Amino acid sequence: MSANESSGAISRDLIWPNQINRIPKEIFGDPAIFDMELDRIFYGPEWHMVGHLAELPERGDFKTFDIGRRPILIARGQDGQVRTFYNACTHRGTQVETSVCGNRKSFDCPYHQWSFDTDGALVGCPGEKEFTPGFAKANYGLRELRMEEFRGLIFVTASRDTQPLQEWLGEIAAPLTDILGGDGKLRLLGYHKVTYASNWKAYNDNDGYHAPLLHSAFRMLHWQGGKGRQIATQNGHNAIEAELSLAKGNSFLSDPSLIEFKGEDPKQGSRVVQLFPLAVATKHLDTINLRFAIPRSVGSTEVHYAYFGLESDSQEMLHHRVRQSSNLLGPCGMISMEDASIFQRVHLGTFTPGNVEFQKGVKRTDEFWFDFKQNDEASFLLKWEHYRKVMDFERRQEA
Amino acid sequence: MSAALDRFEVLEQIDSLQQAYVQALDSAKMEDWLNCFSQQQASYVCISDENEKRGLPIALMLDDCRERIKDRVSFVTKIWVGTFEPYRTTHFVQRLDVEKIATDTYRQVSNFCIMISPEMGSSDVLATGRYHDLVAVEHGKAVFREKRAIYDSRILPRYVVYPF
Repeated sequence: MSANESSGAISRDLIWPNQINRIPKEIFGDPAIFDMELDRIFYGPEWHMVGHLAELPERGDFKTFDIGRRPILIARGQDGQVRTFYNACTHRGTQVETSVCGNRKSFDCPYHQWSFDTDGALVGCPGEKEFTPGFAKANYGLRELRMEEFRGLIFVTASRDTQPLQEWLGEIAAPLTDILGGDGKLRLLGYHKVTYASNWKAYNDNDGYHAPLLHSAFRMLHWQGGKGRQIATQNGHNAIEAELSLAKGNSFLSDPSLIEFKGEDPKQGSRVVQLFPLAVATKHLDTINLRFAIPRSVGSTEVHYAYFGLESDSQEMLHHRVRQSSNLLGPCGMISMEDASIFQRVHLGTFTPGNVEFQKGVKRTDEFWFDFKQNDEASFLLKWEHYRKVMDFERRQEA
Repeated sequence: MSAALDRFEVLEQIDSLQQAYVQALDSAKMEDWLNCFSQQQASYVCISDENEKRGLPIALMLDDCRERIKDRVSFVTKIWVGTFEPYRTTHFVQRLDVEKIATDTYRQVSNFCIMISPEMGSSDVLATGRYHDLVAVEHGKAVFREKRAIYDSRILPRYVVYPF
Protein backbone atom coordinates (compact mmCIF):
# COMPACT_ATOMS: atom_id res chain seq x y z
CA MET A 1 0.00 0.00 0.00
CA SER A 2 1.48 3.33 -0.96
CA ALA A 3 1.24 6.44 1.17
CA ASN A 4 -1.13 7.93 -1.36
CA GLU A 5 -3.59 5.04 -1.28
CA SER A 6 -3.63 4.76 2.48
CA SER A 7 -4.01 8.34 3.47
CA GLY A 8 -5.70 10.12 0.62
CA ALA A 9 -5.47 13.84 1.16
CA ILE A 10 -2.87 13.55 3.89
CA SER A 11 0.11 12.60 1.86
CA ARG A 12 -0.90 14.18 -1.43
CA ASP A 13 0.91 17.36 -0.46
CA LEU A 14 3.32 15.91 2.08
CA ILE A 15 6.92 16.08 0.98
CA TRP A 16 9.24 13.97 3.12
CA PRO A 17 12.62 15.32 2.03
CA ASN A 18 15.32 13.13 0.58
CA GLN A 19 17.79 14.86 2.88
CA ILE A 20 17.61 12.57 5.92
CA ASN A 21 18.14 15.26 8.58
CA ARG A 22 14.91 17.05 7.61
CA ILE A 23 11.48 16.13 9.01
CA PRO A 24 8.37 17.80 7.54
CA LYS A 25 6.66 19.97 10.15
CA GLU A 26 3.15 19.20 8.99
CA ILE A 27 3.22 15.69 10.48
CA PHE A 28 2.98 17.27 13.97
CA GLY A 29 -0.28 19.12 13.55
CA ASP A 30 -2.48 17.16 11.13
CA PRO A 31 -5.44 15.37 12.82
CA ALA A 32 -5.72 12.91 9.91
CA ILE A 33 -2.10 11.89 10.38
CA PHE A 34 -2.78 11.46 14.10
CA ASP A 35 -5.59 9.00 13.32
CA MET A 36 -3.29 7.13 10.98
CA GLU A 37 -0.65 6.94 13.71
CA LEU A 38 -3.15 5.36 16.08
CA ASP A 39 -3.88 2.62 13.55
CA ARG A 40 -0.38 1.96 12.33
CA ILE A 41 1.68 2.57 15.46
CA PHE A 42 -0.41 2.46 18.62
CA TYR A 43 -2.71 -0.36 17.44
CA GLY A 44 -0.01 -1.78 15.17
CA PRO A 45 2.98 -4.13 15.57
CA GLU A 46 4.83 -2.28 18.37
CA TRP A 47 5.09 -3.05 22.09
CA HIS A 48 3.68 -0.43 24.47
CA MET A 49 5.00 -0.04 28.02
CA VAL A 50 1.88 0.31 30.16
CA GLY A 51 2.99 -0.47 33.68
CA HIS A 52 5.32 -2.20 36.10
CA LEU A 53 4.51 -5.16 38.33
CA ALA A 54 5.40 -3.00 41.36
CA GLU A 55 2.28 -0.94 40.64
CA LEU A 56 0.05 -3.95 41.35
CA PRO A 57 1.81 -6.09 43.95
CA GLU A 58 -1.24 -7.80 45.54
CA ARG A 59 -3.75 -10.26 44.13
CA GLY A 60 -6.77 -8.33 42.88
CA ASP A 61 -4.74 -5.13 42.31
CA PHE A 62 -5.46 -3.35 39.05
CA LYS A 63 -4.51 -0.29 37.04
CA THR A 64 -6.35 1.29 34.12
CA PHE A 65 -4.58 2.99 31.25
CA ASP A 66 -5.15 3.81 27.58
CA ILE A 67 -3.35 2.84 24.40
CA GLY A 68 -4.31 5.64 22.08
CA ARG A 69 -8.08 5.83 22.52
CA ARG A 70 -8.44 2.22 23.67
CA PRO A 71 -9.01 1.82 27.43
CA ILE A 72 -7.16 -1.11 29.00
CA LEU A 73 -7.32 -2.85 32.36
CA ILE A 74 -4.19 -4.42 33.84
CA ALA A 75 -5.04 -6.79 36.69
CA ARG A 76 -3.30 -9.25 38.96
CA GLY A 77 -5.65 -12.19 39.24
CA GLN A 78 -6.36 -14.17 42.39
CA ASP A 79 -3.94 -16.73 40.89
CA GLY A 80 -1.12 -14.13 41.10
CA GLN A 81 -0.84 -13.76 37.31
CA VAL A 82 -0.89 -10.29 35.75
CA ARG A 83 -2.97 -9.92 32.58
CA THR A 84 -4.05 -7.01 30.39
CA PHE A 85 -7.56 -6.71 28.95
CA TYR A 86 -9.50 -4.21 26.93
CA ASN A 87 -11.49 -2.32 29.54
CA ALA A 88 -14.83 -2.97 27.87
CA CYS A 89 -17.65 -5.36 28.66
CA THR A 90 -17.89 -8.19 26.13
CA HIS A 91 -21.66 -7.66 26.04
CA ARG A 92 -22.46 -4.09 24.93
CA GLY A 93 -18.99 -2.59 25.17
CA THR A 94 -19.45 -0.57 28.37
CA GLN A 95 -16.24 0.54 30.11
CA VAL A 96 -16.01 -1.92 33.00
CA GLU A 97 -13.55 -0.34 35.47
CA THR A 98 -13.57 3.44 35.99
CA SER A 99 -10.98 3.82 38.77
CA VAL A 100 -7.33 4.59 38.05
CA CYS A 101 -6.25 1.79 40.35
CA GLY A 102 -7.46 -0.28 43.27
CA ASN A 103 -8.15 -3.82 44.41
CA ARG A 104 -11.17 -5.90 43.36
CA LYS A 105 -12.59 -9.37 43.91
CA SER A 106 -14.32 -9.07 40.52
CA PHE A 107 -14.90 -6.52 37.76
CA ASP A 108 -18.58 -5.77 37.42
CA CYS A 109 -20.29 -4.00 34.56
CA PRO A 110 -23.14 -1.92 36.00
CA TYR A 111 -25.20 -1.87 32.78
CA HIS A 112 -26.55 -5.49 32.79
CA GLN A 113 -24.58 -6.83 35.76
CA TRP A 114 -22.13 -8.94 33.81
CA SER A 115 -19.38 -9.89 36.20
CA PHE A 116 -15.78 -10.85 35.40
CA ASP A 117 -13.26 -12.63 37.57
CA THR A 118 -9.87 -10.98 38.20
CA ASP A 119 -8.47 -13.37 35.57
CA GLY A 120 -10.96 -11.96 33.05
CA ALA A 121 -13.36 -14.93 32.97
CA LEU A 122 -17.07 -14.13 32.72
CA VAL A 123 -18.66 -15.52 35.89
CA GLY A 124 -22.08 -13.92 35.92
CA CYS A 125 -24.58 -12.66 33.33
CA PRO A 126 -28.22 -12.45 34.50
CA GLY A 127 -30.87 -13.84 32.09
CA GLU A 128 -28.46 -16.25 30.43
CA LYS A 129 -31.24 -18.73 29.50
CA GLU A 130 -32.68 -16.26 27.02
CA PHE A 131 -29.37 -15.51 25.28
CA THR A 132 -28.45 -16.68 21.78
CA PRO A 133 -28.60 -20.46 21.30
CA GLY A 134 -25.32 -22.05 22.28
CA PHE A 135 -24.21 -19.05 24.38
CA ALA A 136 -21.25 -20.07 26.57
CA LYS A 137 -19.69 -17.87 29.26
CA ALA A 138 -16.29 -19.27 28.32
CA ASN A 139 -16.45 -17.31 25.05
CA TYR A 140 -17.17 -14.00 26.73
CA GLY A 141 -14.27 -13.33 29.05
CA LEU A 142 -12.70 -9.85 28.95
CA ARG A 143 -10.71 -9.61 25.74
CA GLU A 144 -7.04 -10.10 26.57
CA LEU A 145 -4.14 -8.32 24.89
CA ARG A 146 -0.85 -9.98 24.04
CA MET A 147 1.46 -9.19 26.92
CA GLU A 148 5.12 -9.75 27.80
CA GLU A 149 7.20 -8.71 30.78
CA PHE A 150 10.75 -7.48 30.98
CA ARG A 151 12.28 -6.91 34.45
CA GLY A 152 8.79 -6.33 35.77
CA LEU A 153 7.88 -3.91 32.98
CA ILE A 154 4.54 -4.74 31.39
CA PHE A 155 4.39 -4.45 27.60
CA VAL A 156 1.29 -5.08 25.51
CA THR A 157 0.53 -5.10 21.82
CA ALA A 158 -2.65 -5.25 19.79
CA SER A 159 -0.94 -7.04 16.92
CA ARG A 160 -0.10 -10.71 16.42
CA ASP A 161 2.72 -9.65 14.12
CA THR A 162 4.78 -7.86 16.77
CA GLN A 163 8.14 -9.58 17.20
CA PRO A 164 8.99 -11.12 20.63
CA LEU A 165 9.69 -8.42 23.22
CA GLN A 166 13.35 -9.31 23.82
CA GLU A 167 14.01 -9.10 20.08
CA TRP A 168 12.10 -5.81 19.84
CA LEU A 169 14.16 -4.32 22.70
CA GLY A 170 17.43 -5.50 21.14
CA GLU A 171 20.50 -3.64 22.41
CA ILE A 172 18.30 -1.45 24.61
CA ALA A 173 17.64 -4.37 26.97
CA ALA A 174 20.99 -3.83 28.74
CA PRO A 175 20.63 -0.12 29.67
CA LEU A 176 16.96 -0.73 30.52
CA THR A 177 18.01 -3.50 32.91
CA ASP A 178 20.47 -1.13 34.58
CA ILE A 179 17.78 1.52 35.10
CA LEU A 180 15.57 -1.10 36.76
CA GLY A 181 18.20 -2.05 39.32
CA GLY A 182 19.24 -5.24 37.51
CA ASP A 183 16.37 -7.52 38.45
CA GLY A 184 13.43 -5.11 38.16
CA LYS A 185 12.36 -5.69 41.78
CA LEU A 186 10.98 -2.24 42.46
CA ARG A 187 8.78 -0.51 44.99
CA LEU A 188 6.29 2.14 43.80
CA LEU A 189 6.79 5.58 45.40
CA GLY A 190 4.19 7.63 43.55
CA TYR A 191 3.25 9.59 40.45
CA HIS A 192 3.29 12.93 38.71
CA LYS A 193 0.57 13.11 36.06
CA VAL A 194 0.32 15.95 33.57
CA THR A 195 -0.96 16.93 30.15
CA TYR A 196 1.40 18.69 27.78
CA ALA A 197 -0.06 20.83 25.00
CA SER A 198 2.07 19.12 22.43
CA ASN A 199 1.94 16.48 19.74
CA TRP A 200 3.29 13.16 21.09
CA LYS A 201 6.21 13.22 18.66
CA ALA A 202 7.34 16.69 19.77
CA TYR A 203 7.19 15.47 23.39
CA ASN A 204 9.17 12.39 22.44
CA ASP A 205 11.87 14.20 20.45
CA ASN A 206 13.71 15.21 23.62
CA ASP A 207 17.30 14.61 22.56
CA GLY A 208 20.67 14.58 24.31
CA TYR A 209 21.88 17.74 22.55
CA HIS A 210 19.53 20.01 24.47
CA ALA A 211 20.36 18.79 27.96
CA PRO A 212 23.38 20.93 28.90
CA LEU A 213 22.09 23.91 26.90
CA LEU A 214 18.47 24.23 27.96
CA HIS A 215 18.95 23.13 31.55
CA SER A 216 20.69 25.91 33.45
CA ALA A 217 20.60 23.68 36.51
CA PHE A 218 23.09 21.36 34.82
CA ARG A 219 25.55 24.21 34.52
CA MET A 220 24.95 25.72 37.92
CA LEU A 221 25.22 22.37 39.62
CA HIS A 222 28.28 21.50 37.50
CA TRP A 223 26.62 18.42 36.09
CA GLN A 224 27.90 18.44 32.59
CA GLY A 225 31.12 17.20 31.11
CA GLY A 226 30.67 13.59 32.14
CA LYS A 227 31.64 10.90 29.70
CA GLY A 228 28.92 8.88 28.10
CA ARG A 229 27.58 7.05 25.11
CA GLN A 230 24.45 6.74 23.06
CA ILE A 231 22.82 3.73 21.40
CA ALA A 232 20.13 4.00 18.74
CA THR A 233 18.35 1.08 17.08
CA GLN A 234 16.80 0.77 13.64
CA ASN A 235 13.36 0.16 15.13
CA GLY A 236 13.37 3.56 16.80
CA HIS A 237 14.73 3.05 20.32
CA ASN A 238 17.44 5.13 21.93
CA ALA A 239 19.57 5.02 25.09
CA ILE A 240 21.92 7.63 26.56
CA GLU A 241 24.29 6.79 29.39
CA ALA A 242 26.39 9.47 31.06
CA GLU A 243 28.53 10.12 34.08
CA LEU A 244 27.18 12.62 36.54
CA SER A 245 30.04 14.14 38.46
CA LEU A 246 28.83 16.51 41.11
CA ALA A 247 31.01 19.43 42.09
CA LYS A 248 32.24 19.25 45.66
CA GLY A 249 31.42 22.09 48.02
CA ASN A 250 28.54 23.20 45.84
CA SER A 251 27.64 26.65 47.03
CA PHE A 252 24.54 27.25 44.98
CA LEU A 253 22.10 25.08 46.89
CA SER A 254 21.33 25.74 50.55
CA ASP A 255 20.47 22.05 50.87
CA PRO A 256 22.85 20.05 48.64
CA SER A 257 21.72 16.78 50.29
CA LEU A 258 18.87 16.72 47.80
CA ILE A 259 21.17 15.92 44.89
CA GLU A 260 23.51 13.54 46.69
CA PHE A 261 24.25 10.31 44.89
CA LYS A 262 23.93 7.50 47.39
CA GLY A 263 23.53 4.61 45.00
CA GLU A 264 26.07 2.38 43.35
CA ASP A 265 27.65 2.69 39.91
CA PRO A 266 28.61 6.39 40.08
CA LYS A 267 30.24 6.09 36.66
CA GLN A 268 26.80 5.91 35.11
CA GLY A 269 24.82 8.44 37.09
CA SER A 270 22.44 9.26 34.29
CA ARG A 271 20.60 6.91 31.95
CA VAL A 272 17.73 7.66 29.60
CA VAL A 273 15.99 5.00 27.52
CA GLN A 274 13.36 5.91 24.95
CA LEU A 275 11.32 3.13 23.37
CA PHE A 276 9.38 3.67 20.17
CA PRO A 277 6.87 5.14 20.05
CA LEU A 278 6.41 6.86 23.39
CA ALA A 279 7.81 5.15 26.50
CA VAL A 280 10.68 6.53 28.57
CA ALA A 281 12.68 5.03 31.43
CA THR A 282 15.31 7.07 33.25
CA LYS A 283 17.65 7.00 36.16
CA HIS A 284 19.29 10.24 37.25
CA LEU A 285 21.36 9.98 40.44
CA ASP A 286 19.05 7.94 42.72
CA THR A 287 15.80 8.77 40.91
CA ILE A 288 14.23 5.83 39.05
CA ASN A 289 11.47 7.02 36.75
CA LEU A 290 9.19 5.36 34.20
CA ARG A 291 7.07 7.56 31.91
CA PHE A 292 3.87 6.05 30.59
CA ALA A 293 2.34 8.33 28.00
CA ILE A 294 -0.93 8.56 26.09
CA PRO A 295 -1.38 10.53 22.85
CA ARG A 296 -4.73 12.21 23.64
CA SER A 297 -5.09 14.22 20.45
CA VAL A 298 -2.93 15.72 17.76
CA GLY A 299 -1.97 18.54 20.15
CA SER A 300 -2.20 16.92 23.56
CA THR A 301 -0.08 14.27 25.29
CA GLU A 302 -0.72 12.90 28.77
CA VAL A 303 2.32 11.73 30.73
CA HIS A 304 2.31 9.65 33.90
CA TYR A 305 5.70 9.87 35.60
CA ALA A 306 5.96 6.89 37.97
CA TYR A 307 8.78 6.85 40.54
CA PHE A 308 10.29 3.79 42.18
CA GLY A 309 12.76 2.60 44.76
CA LEU A 310 14.33 -0.84 44.93
CA GLU A 311 12.71 -3.57 47.01
CA SER A 312 16.05 -3.91 48.79
CA ASP A 313 16.28 -0.21 49.76
CA SER A 314 16.72 0.78 53.41
CA GLN A 315 14.22 3.25 54.89
CA GLU A 316 16.92 5.94 54.68
CA MET A 317 17.46 5.26 50.97
CA LEU A 318 13.73 5.34 50.26
CA HIS A 319 13.43 8.65 52.09
CA HIS A 320 16.28 10.04 50.00
CA ARG A 321 14.72 8.77 46.77
CA VAL A 322 11.37 10.36 47.64
CA ARG A 323 12.98 13.76 48.31
CA GLN A 324 15.10 13.64 45.18
CA SER A 325 12.49 12.18 42.83
CA SER A 326 9.80 14.64 43.90
CA ASN A 327 11.98 17.62 43.11
CA LEU A 328 14.23 16.51 40.25
CA LEU A 329 11.83 15.42 37.50
CA GLY A 330 8.25 15.86 36.35
CA PRO A 331 6.17 18.90 35.41
CA CYS A 332 7.83 21.02 38.13
CA GLY A 333 11.22 19.29 38.30
CA MET A 334 14.50 21.11 38.81
CA ILE A 335 15.89 19.61 35.60
CA SER A 336 12.72 19.03 33.62
CA MET A 337 10.32 21.94 34.00
CA GLU A 338 12.03 23.62 31.03
CA ASP A 339 11.47 20.54 28.84
CA ALA A 340 7.75 20.85 29.42
CA SER A 341 7.79 24.46 28.28
CA ILE A 342 9.76 23.52 25.17
CA PHE A 343 7.34 20.71 24.15
CA GLN A 344 4.55 23.22 23.75
CA ARG A 345 6.70 25.76 21.93
CA VAL A 346 8.00 23.16 19.50
CA HIS A 347 4.44 22.06 18.83
CA LEU A 348 3.27 25.60 18.07
CA GLY A 349 6.29 26.24 15.87
CA THR A 350 5.56 23.22 13.71
CA PHE A 351 2.49 24.95 12.27
CA THR A 352 4.87 27.14 10.25
CA PRO A 353 5.88 25.89 6.78
CA GLY A 354 8.96 23.81 6.07
CA ASN A 355 11.00 21.20 7.88
CA VAL A 356 12.41 20.51 11.31
CA GLU A 357 16.21 20.33 11.01
CA PHE A 358 18.67 18.05 12.78
CA GLN A 359 22.28 19.26 12.87
CA LYS A 360 24.31 18.12 15.90
CA GLY A 361 26.23 15.00 14.98
CA VAL A 362 24.85 14.78 11.44
CA LYS A 363 27.78 13.33 9.48
CA ARG A 364 26.01 13.05 6.14
CA THR A 365 22.56 13.67 4.76
CA ASP A 366 22.14 10.91 2.18
CA GLU A 367 22.31 7.75 4.29
CA PHE A 368 22.24 6.47 7.87
CA TRP A 369 25.03 5.43 10.21
CA PHE A 370 24.97 3.85 13.66
CA ASP A 371 27.59 5.37 15.96
CA PHE A 372 26.61 8.43 17.93
CA LYS A 373 28.21 10.61 20.58
CA GLN A 374 26.41 11.15 23.88
CA ASN A 375 25.05 14.59 22.98
CA ASP A 376 24.26 14.02 19.30
CA GLU A 377 20.72 14.78 18.21
CA ALA A 378 21.43 12.84 15.01
CA SER A 379 20.66 9.53 16.76
CA PHE A 380 16.96 10.40 16.60
CA LEU A 381 17.08 10.23 12.80
CA LEU A 382 16.89 6.43 13.05
CA LYS A 383 13.66 6.76 15.00
CA TRP A 384 12.31 9.15 12.39
CA GLU A 385 13.24 6.76 9.61
CA HIS A 386 11.39 3.94 11.40
CA TYR A 387 8.37 6.24 11.80
CA ARG A 388 8.46 7.24 8.13
CA LYS A 389 8.54 3.61 7.02
CA VAL A 390 5.72 2.53 9.36
CA MET A 391 3.61 5.47 8.13
CA ASP A 392 4.53 4.73 4.53
CA PHE A 393 5.52 8.29 3.67
CA GLU A 394 7.67 8.38 0.57
CA ARG A 395 10.77 10.51 0.33
CA ARG A 396 10.65 13.10 -2.43
CA GLN A 397 12.79 15.82 -3.85
CA GLU A 398 11.97 19.18 -2.26
CA ALA A 399 10.79 21.85 -4.67
CA MET B 1 -9.91 39.46 77.30
CA SER B 2 -12.95 37.35 76.43
CA ALA B 3 -12.51 33.96 74.71
CA ALA B 4 -14.49 35.22 71.72
CA LEU B 5 -12.20 38.21 71.24
CA ASP B 6 -9.15 36.00 71.70
CA ARG B 7 -10.38 33.67 68.97
CA PHE B 8 -11.13 36.62 66.71
CA GLU B 9 -7.55 37.85 67.04
CA VAL B 10 -6.15 34.40 66.28
CA LEU B 11 -8.30 34.07 63.18
CA GLU B 12 -7.27 37.54 62.07
CA GLN B 13 -3.59 36.61 62.39
CA ILE B 14 -4.06 33.37 60.50
CA ASP B 15 -6.06 35.08 57.75
CA SER B 16 -3.42 37.79 57.45
CA LEU B 17 -0.78 35.12 56.95
CA GLN B 18 -2.87 33.40 54.29
CA GLN B 19 -3.39 36.75 52.56
CA ALA B 20 0.33 37.50 52.62
CA TYR B 21 0.94 34.05 51.11
CA VAL B 22 -1.57 34.64 48.31
CA GLN B 23 -0.24 38.12 47.61
CA ALA B 24 3.33 36.84 47.42
CA LEU B 25 2.46 34.15 44.86
CA ASP B 26 0.01 36.23 42.83
CA SER B 27 2.63 38.96 42.45
CA ALA B 28 5.44 36.40 41.91
CA LYS B 29 7.45 37.79 44.85
CA MET B 30 9.21 34.62 45.90
CA GLU B 31 11.12 36.25 48.79
CA ASP B 32 7.78 37.27 50.30
CA TRP B 33 6.61 33.67 49.86
CA LEU B 34 9.69 32.47 51.75
CA ASN B 35 8.98 34.96 54.54
CA CYS B 36 5.60 33.32 55.20
CA PHE B 37 7.46 30.33 56.65
CA SER B 38 8.96 29.92 60.11
CA GLN B 39 12.65 30.57 60.61
CA GLN B 40 12.87 27.71 63.07
CA GLN B 41 11.04 24.81 61.49
CA ALA B 42 9.43 24.93 58.08
CA SER B 43 8.16 22.62 55.39
CA TYR B 44 6.23 23.06 52.14
CA VAL B 45 4.71 20.07 50.36
CA CYS B 46 2.52 20.14 47.25
CA ILE B 47 1.09 16.69 46.53
CA SER B 48 -1.66 15.16 44.40
CA ASP B 49 -4.79 13.89 46.08
CA GLU B 50 -4.15 10.55 44.33
CA ASN B 51 -0.73 10.05 45.93
CA GLU B 52 -2.01 11.36 49.28
CA LYS B 53 -4.99 8.96 49.36
CA ARG B 54 -2.89 5.97 48.28
CA GLY B 55 -0.21 6.74 50.86
CA LEU B 56 2.39 7.27 48.12
CA PRO B 57 5.00 9.79 49.31
CA ILE B 58 6.04 11.36 45.97
CA ALA B 59 5.07 15.04 45.89
CA LEU B 60 5.06 17.59 43.08
CA MET B 61 7.14 19.83 45.33
CA LEU B 62 8.75 18.54 48.50
CA ASP B 63 10.59 21.08 50.63
CA ASP B 64 11.04 19.51 54.05
CA CYS B 65 13.26 22.22 55.55
CA ARG B 66 13.74 25.97 55.23
CA GLU B 67 16.87 25.45 53.11
CA ARG B 68 14.83 23.57 50.53
CA ILE B 69 12.23 26.36 50.48
CA LYS B 70 15.06 28.84 49.88
CA ASP B 71 16.38 26.67 47.05
CA ARG B 72 12.94 26.69 45.42
CA VAL B 73 13.06 30.49 45.47
CA SER B 74 16.48 30.37 43.79
CA PHE B 75 15.24 28.01 41.08
CA VAL B 76 12.26 30.18 40.21
CA THR B 77 14.11 33.49 40.37
CA LYS B 78 17.57 32.50 39.05
CA ILE B 79 17.89 29.11 37.37
CA TRP B 80 14.65 28.84 35.40
CA VAL B 81 14.58 32.46 34.25
CA GLY B 82 14.02 32.68 30.50
CA THR B 83 13.08 29.03 30.06
CA PHE B 84 9.34 29.14 30.79
CA GLU B 85 6.43 31.12 29.39
CA PRO B 86 5.48 33.81 31.92
CA TYR B 87 2.16 33.36 33.67
CA ARG B 88 0.38 34.88 36.63
CA THR B 89 -1.92 33.25 39.13
CA THR B 90 -4.93 34.35 41.12
CA HIS B 91 -5.54 32.38 44.31
CA PHE B 92 -8.90 32.11 46.04
CA VAL B 93 -8.68 30.69 49.55
CA GLN B 94 -11.56 29.76 51.84
CA ARG B 95 -10.84 28.93 55.47
CA LEU B 96 -12.71 25.80 56.60
CA ASP B 97 -11.36 24.93 60.02
CA VAL B 98 -8.95 26.15 62.68
CA GLU B 99 -7.97 24.09 65.69
CA LYS B 100 -5.64 25.07 68.52
CA ILE B 101 -3.23 22.23 69.22
CA ALA B 102 -0.77 23.92 71.62
CA THR B 103 0.12 27.37 72.87
CA ASP B 104 0.36 29.69 69.88
CA THR B 105 0.11 26.72 67.50
CA TYR B 106 -2.84 25.97 65.23
CA ARG B 107 -3.87 23.52 62.56
CA GLN B 108 -5.91 25.07 59.78
CA VAL B 109 -7.60 23.68 56.70
CA SER B 110 -8.65 25.82 53.71
CA ASN B 111 -9.94 25.21 50.21
CA PHE B 112 -7.97 26.76 47.40
CA CYS B 113 -8.64 27.50 43.77
CA ILE B 114 -5.80 28.78 41.62
CA MET B 115 -6.59 30.47 38.32
CA ILE B 116 -3.82 30.81 35.78
CA SER B 117 -3.45 33.59 33.22
CA PRO B 118 -0.71 32.91 30.69
CA GLU B 119 0.81 35.91 28.94
CA MET B 120 -0.76 34.63 25.72
CA GLY B 121 -4.14 33.02 26.24
CA SER B 122 -7.14 33.21 28.50
CA SER B 123 -7.53 32.49 32.20
CA ASP B 124 -8.26 28.96 33.32
CA VAL B 125 -8.23 26.79 36.42
CA LEU B 126 -4.72 25.59 37.25
CA ALA B 127 -5.61 23.65 40.39
CA THR B 128 -8.13 23.24 43.16
CA GLY B 129 -7.57 21.53 46.49
CA ARG B 130 -6.97 22.01 50.17
CA TYR B 131 -4.26 23.53 52.30
CA HIS B 132 -3.47 21.65 55.51
CA ASP B 133 -1.32 24.03 57.52
CA LEU B 134 0.46 24.15 60.83
CA VAL B 135 0.60 27.80 61.86
CA ALA B 136 2.60 29.15 64.80
CA VAL B 137 2.70 32.62 66.28
CA GLU B 138 6.39 33.45 66.58
CA HIS B 139 7.51 36.86 67.88
CA GLY B 140 3.94 38.11 67.60
CA LYS B 141 3.58 37.09 63.95
CA ALA B 142 1.83 34.07 62.45
CA VAL B 143 4.03 31.90 60.20
CA PHE B 144 3.74 28.50 58.54
CA ARG B 145 5.63 25.66 60.13
CA GLU B 146 4.04 23.27 57.67
CA LYS B 147 2.08 24.00 54.55
CA ARG B 148 0.65 21.03 52.65
CA ALA B 149 -1.17 21.81 49.39
CA ILE B 150 -3.17 18.77 48.23
CA TYR B 151 -4.43 19.28 44.68
CA ASP B 152 -7.51 17.47 43.37
CA SER B 153 -6.86 16.97 39.68
CA ARG B 154 -5.72 13.51 38.59
CA ILE B 155 -3.88 15.10 35.69
CA LEU B 156 -2.27 18.53 35.95
CA PRO B 157 -3.27 20.66 32.95
CA ARG B 158 0.31 21.87 32.27
CA TYR B 159 3.78 22.29 33.73
CA VAL B 160 4.18 24.30 36.91
CA VAL B 161 6.71 26.94 37.94
CA TYR B 162 5.31 28.58 41.07
CA PRO B 163 4.26 26.85 44.29
CA PHE B 164 0.53 26.31 44.91
